Amino acid sequence: MKKILVVDDEIHIVQVVAIKLRNNGFEVITADNGQSAYNLAVAECPDAIITDLQMPGITGLEMVEKLRNTESTADIPVIMLTARGLSIDTQEIDKLSIVACLSKPFSPREVLETLKVAVEPLAV
Amino acid sequence: MAKSKRRYYLLALMGIASVPGLVLYSLVMLGFNIGGIVLASLSVLTLSWIGWEAIGIFRSLSDFNSRFEDGSNVHFHVPQGSVLERIATKMNHYIKKQDDSRQQMQEQIEALDIQVQLSQRQARNTEAIIQSIHDAVIVTDCFNRVIVANSKASELFDFDLDKAQYKQINELLGVEKVAAMIMTAISSKTHHRRNDLEIEIDGQLKFYNSTFSSITDESGEIVGVVSVFHDISREKEVSRMKNEFVSHVSHELKTPLASITAYAEMLVDGEAQDDESREQFLSIIQTQAQRLNRLIEDILNISRIESGLVKVKKDRASVAMLIRDSVEMIKSYAAEKSISVIEPNSVVYDQVNVDKDMISQVIINLLSNAVKYNKPGGTVSISVEVLEDLISVKVTDSGVGIPSDEIGHVFDKFYRVSSNDKVAKGTGLGLNLVKQIVEKVHGGRVFVESVEGEGSTFGFELPLCATEETAVI
Repeated sequence: MKKILVVDDEIHIVQVVAIKLRNNGFEVITADNGQSAYNLAVAECPDAIITDLQMPGITGLEMVEKLRNTESTADIPVIMLTARGLSIDTQEIDKLSIVACLSKPFSPREVLETLKVAVEPLAV
Repeated sequence: MAKSKRRYYLLALMGIASVPGLVLYSLVMLGFNIGGIVLASLSVLTLSWIGWEAIGIFRSLSDFNSRFEDGSNVHFHVPQGSVLERIATKMNHYIKKQDDSRQQMQEQIEALDIQVQLSQRQARNTEAIIQSIHDAVIVTDCFNRVIVANSKASELFDFDLDKAQYKQINELLGVEKVAAMIMTAISSKTHHRRNDLEIEIDGQLKFYNSTFSSITDESGEIVGVVSVFHDISREKEVSRMKNEFVSHVSHELKTPLASITAYAEMLVDGEAQDDESREQFLSIIQTQAQRLNRLIEDILNISRIESGLVKVKKDRASVAMLIRDSVEMIKSYAAEKSISVIEPNSVVYDQVNVDKDMISQVIINLLSNAVKYNKPGGTVSISVEVLEDLISVKVTDSGVGIPSDEIGHVFDKFYRVSSNDKVAKGTGLGLNLVKQIVEKVHGGRVFVESVEGEGSTFGFELPLCATEETAVI
């Protein structure tokens, strides 16, 4: 069973993604801010991360940058969820090798499909 | 009578004419040589005639001189038939021409004098117009010398206005790029040029829209440049705030919407595996829809109050009651963050004439902010105080506080304390709505005090109802 880390400061968003993934055979761990997510990622080495962009404390992008600079987490595929829309720095997204950037409101179905593609070699 | 007079004159003339004959006859009788006598007589006559003419010329010159000095009717008067008559006529003709010419010149000088006065007045008017312009204006000639500048320009570029005229623009302006722009406007021979300009003034970046318009002469040659610098810092700031607002509102609207659509899709896809899950999903959809509605209402309320279209329903109300109801609504949110809410002390009289829903919203906004920006396990305390004919409500938290340089902006629409992004999300609308409701709708006053890292006190004052009215009720 593949382990996915879901990060969002909105508890309902974490919950809905987690239910969707668990119902489809993934193991899910969760965090509600960037720093906790980074610590969890280093400790648990998940197979993929689904994270919100804008969060209190360190943002989603800052967290991914830290992950990329840490050897054990440098290659973890990341899917970004964002409600911002207007000011996404696409260069930053490319530089951090983010697999996909999905806009809120999102479809849990689409998140699942994107995740399957991202973790294809590891997919259940 | 006239005939007899003429006869007497004739006889007198004949008498006088006979005198030289008699003298000549007497001289001959006395033995003088007749030839010598005739010669002498002719000489005497010639000399007399010359003398007579000379006297005439002298009198004419004297007369001319006195007239010349008077400046009136200047011309020669010589006896008719005189040898100088022709010369005098020509002289008089010449003098007449000179006189006419002088007259014309005089008229031209007077006309020029009027023109000079008009030009001076126009120059003064033009300068007054340039001085009165709210933008910074500098007019330069084709040699890049300053012709005129206004006080706004001297303030902006920090130069002495009195010493600016005819100075080279690159020597006068400390900002090299501006001088270069003005000089380029002349050399490039373009008639109109626009540039956006950023100038740092006292460590603060200001934005200007600069326009360089060429001045052309009759032949179309560029002889100068009018440079106008319009301050657009405020517009830039408003634009930045609007973009920030759109970004924030977009985020705030999309977050509950994301929950609604995601949970709805989960229900449609049969991902709720039991009744309990289904109920939970539906409940989340409902609360997120309410959250979305509140946000939209906040935006609309501010807009309505600002445009004066808000419907206000004022009734007598107890401030303590409004606080109690608001505290009840915020308690569960405070409990989530382990924050204790300390309710206010009681006051003897707290009746106000307010729109209850609006003032409840003010109290809820202040309380929810006090919880949102608080530290886990912190406190929120509410106090009420009566100050003569006012009632003052304060909400004090033990939260993150506000930096002193930002505290003056916290009630501005869309303004968010920069460090608060790290703590919690928000639109920057809540406190603006509080200010609009208290000050614009109820004639009260909002206030804030804060120490960064220790906490903040937000509050408002409202006028109390007159006690006599209470007695009647």
